[in-house]
Amino acid sequence: MIARALVPLALLAASLSAQGPKFITLPDQAPLVTVRLVFRTGSASDPKGKEGLAALTAAMLAEGGTQRMSYDQVVEALYPMAVNISYQTDKEMTTFSADTHVDNLDAFYSIFRAILLEPGWRAEDLKRLKDQTINALRVNLRANNDEELGKEVLYNTIYAGRPYGHYNLGTVSALESITIADLKAFWRANYTQANLTVGLAGGYPGTFLEAVKKDFATLPPGKAAVTTRPPPAKITGLNLTLIDKRTRSVAYSFGFPIEVKRGHPDYLALLVAQSFLGPHRNSSGLLYQNMREIRGLNYGDYAYIEYFPRGMFQFEPDPNLARPQQIFQIWIRPVELPTAHFALRLAFHEVEKFITRGLTPAEFEQARNYVAKNVNLLTKTKRAELGYAIDSAYYGIAGYNAYVNEGLKKLTAANVNRAIKRHLQLTNLHVVAISPDAEALRKKLLSNEPSPMKYESTKPQELLDEDKIVEKRPLAFTAEKTRVIPVDKIFE
Amino acid sequence: MKLLSIAALTALSLLAANGKPKAFPYAYDQFDMDNGLRVITVPTSYPNVVALYIVVQVGSRNEVEPGKTGFAHFFEHMMFRGTKDFPPDKFQAVMQQAGAANNAFTSDDLTAYHTTFSKQDLEVMMRMEADRFQNLDYSLAGFQTEALAVLGEYNKNSASPFLKIEETLNATAFKKHTYAHTTLGFLKDIKDMPNQFEYSKQFFQRFYRPEYTTILVVGDVKPEQVRTLAKRDWSGWKRGSYQSPVEAEPPQNGPRSAHIDWPTPTLPISVVGFRNPAYSDTDKDFAALDLISQLGFSENSPLYKSLILDKQQADSLQASNDNHVDPYLFTVISRVKKKEDLPAVEQEILSTLAGFKDTPVPRERLDRVRRNLRYRLALSMDNSEAIARTLAYAIALRRTPETLNKMAEMYESITPEDLRDVARKYFTENNRTVITLTGASK
Repeated sequence: MIARALVPLALLAASLSAQGPKFITLPDQAPLVTVRLVFRTGSASDPKGKEGLAALTAAMLAEGGTQRMSYDQVVEALYPMAVNISYQTDKEMTTFSADTHVDNLDAFYSIFRAILLEPGWRAEDLKRLKDQTINALRVNLRANNDEELGKEVLYNTIYAGRPYGHYNLGTVSALESITIADLKAFWRANYTQANLTVGLAGGYPGTFLEAVKKDFATLPPGKAAVTTRPPPAKITGLNLTLIDKRTRSVAYSFGFPIEVKRGHPDYLALLVAQSFLGPHRNSSGLLYQNMREIRGLNYGDYAYIEYFPRGMFQFEPDPNLARPQQIFQIWIRPVELPTAHFALRLAFHEVEKFITRGLTPAEFEQARNYVAKNVNLLTKTKRAELGYAIDSAYYGIAGYNAYVNEGLKKLTAANVNRAIKRHLQLTNLHVVAISPDAEALRKKLLSNEPSPMKYESTKPQELLDEDKIVEKRPLAFTAEKTRVIPVDKIFE
Repeated sequence: MKLLSIAALTALSLLAANGKPKAFPYAYDQFDMDNGLRVITVPTSYPNVVALYIVVQVGSRNEVEPGKTGFAHFFEHMMFRGTKDFPPDKFQAVMQQAGAANNAFTSDDLTAYHTTFSKQDLEVMMRMEADRFQNLDYSLAGFQTEALAVLGEYNKNSASPFLKIEETLNATAFKKHTYAHTTLGFLKDIKDMPNQFEYSKQFFQRFYRPEYTTILVVGDVKPEQVRTLAKRDWSGWKRGSYQSPVEAEPPQNGPRSAHIDWPTPTLPISVVGFRNPAYSDTDKDFAALDLISQLGFSENSPLYKSLILDKQQADSLQASNDNHVDPYLFTVISRVKKKEDLPAVEQEILSTLAGFKDTPVPRERLDRVRRNLRYRLALSMDNSEAIARTLAYAIALRRTPETLNKMAEMYESITPEDLRDVARKYFTENNRTVITLTGASK
């Protein structure tokens, strides 16, 4: 087991004032400094009809200039420092983060504080950022990224009618209606001291921490953010949403809500289970092995117990996407149309086998070791370490590495197998498919007709025997619980 | 066991000749084994974690035979198909036990295998990597199955118009050189991959050789540890003799262009490309073009301010002076909001490039770009894995971290006159290739 510097939670506790900002600090002697501000607000706080307001507010702060400086002046000033202020809006958290060389700390910070405390709110910036967001929805996501589209439609479907029921960037019609007054009101109400956690890491001087404390004490005090959300609607049976799109192949995502999150007694058990079934972008998972490696159906197949956007571009999840509600999700990367029916059957077959059999003691050992060591890779940068520390404070757990490693010591194969049976199932869930000629795929999936696999290469007899079972495996879709949506209707 | 010729080039001083801190700020240990394998160790202060990158100087550039495009990338997949001692399930089990992040990538000029893990596992990782580089042993069935996974990779990339743009740009700009095809290869060749089993063995024999390969270990390690393991596991690897007969691209004799009608709605995209020189850390041209890519098109450039912020005609603008082993392309890519603005945006990009031929760049602007590049490199190296990745690309080009320092010194030496000269030399009509893409209206 690897010893790691624990997040100094004592320091965190000491710096808590009644309702003021929380501070998490990881000082060291490095020449780089990371500043990470997380506000406990996000798209779950978007008013009805203004979906996307939280995200657009964050964009206007980060890419909209300050009272004194236009956005191009901000860019001009930051450019020689090579500082990039990144921002992220999720359901419950909005994050502003930047790394700078300590040489430039003061110059950078004078701008960073102003974008958050003295925003510019210029109409031309709003116009540009609305265009940018609408293009991100219509082009980057809907037109160019079938896999992410499938995942986000799955979330929207599971949380329909709830605060999590829309994509973080919002909808085109709501974005078009958002005014400067809406943005200002959202900023005043949500960018408060009570909602703020300030994370600092690296070789900053002590005076810097004091300056940050003083500056952000000028935010309105605010009240503690909502911590509970209404549960998603109960899912009954297999529900199928097909997105009809001219594309080469079929991308699937399926899943259902789970009560497990960090801090839940079964979190580590389910994390170990997920790490065996389908660790992200990792070739050792059961799904990857059985769908891609031995059958060549696609490029990869993975399982998730926490929200993980942009997975096609990155190997590690971004921190500060903490949520009180999570889903279990399977991601099947695009499959060729002729094998699309079989691929979905096989995914169900594999997950079902996994639920029934669980992990052997040897498999458990292997997966547990993976989680124990992989956690070091998740927090390999100061930026990530800080992000994880902020999430741990949100979930009310010890530093993530310590939480994982302490918890794993007590975990047994029996715990994991019990947790699998308690939380995973294949009866009540939503399936989303992005598909060419979606109506034809819908009919095929409803028909339950056999979908035999043909291979150009020789396969072991036991695999062919298993395929005989898989190709006939019934999928309990019903006509009334399937729908086909043209792609251009999504996010409008 | 054969002894190593330790032609070590250990960097002792981290100051450049001009007394400034070196751009690559880490001391490293570099040595060559008798068989031609190079081993570079970079100890860092980031605790516990080690990044092991094995860089092979083979990529789609080496795919000289017709029908074999995409093979370097396909072969990267085959390297995960096991050996007698470590069949795939055992390899995966070791990786999982170690909690390692293990993957690979291929580009035009390199194939890199990378694993990031906890320092206790260095021994087994070096052993397992040495084994697959020397004793790879896959079956016909495994080969044919993996070819389908490559098709799956093509499928998942094909939803984005950028794959199509890259394919069209390369095929338009290059007629003889292998850069005419992308790293993924032509779709028809990908579909034929299951039939190329025998060729795959030949490919391995040609390129998976010590003289093509550099082992890079970055993180919580000591050079002596790495040298000992390298001697133990990699000394028996035999040097090869193959050299790819890559045909040089003849000079371009006129402007070229191509248009793509994308079948679904998307925003119009324009790519303006000019032939650039091969990567060089000793000739001024390449460094000067790097600086122009920033001066002309980065987020603090006048054109960015005009197109993105003021007129808001485009929502992205980016220039890249691509560093390749052979001459490649300097490109400016922009995504335009309205189809009717496409010609005007393209014209502004061309005018900006032409402007460098006549109007000298103020030295103060040039210095700001140099500062940006210096800090950008420093900020990018914030963990061992990121340092290793930065080095992997450098190694594909010059096989040593020193090239990063040389390039940084080169940036410092460039004058406004150099920029003018390089613009006149490369941004000519004869050197130009323009690609446009527009989507369906519905």
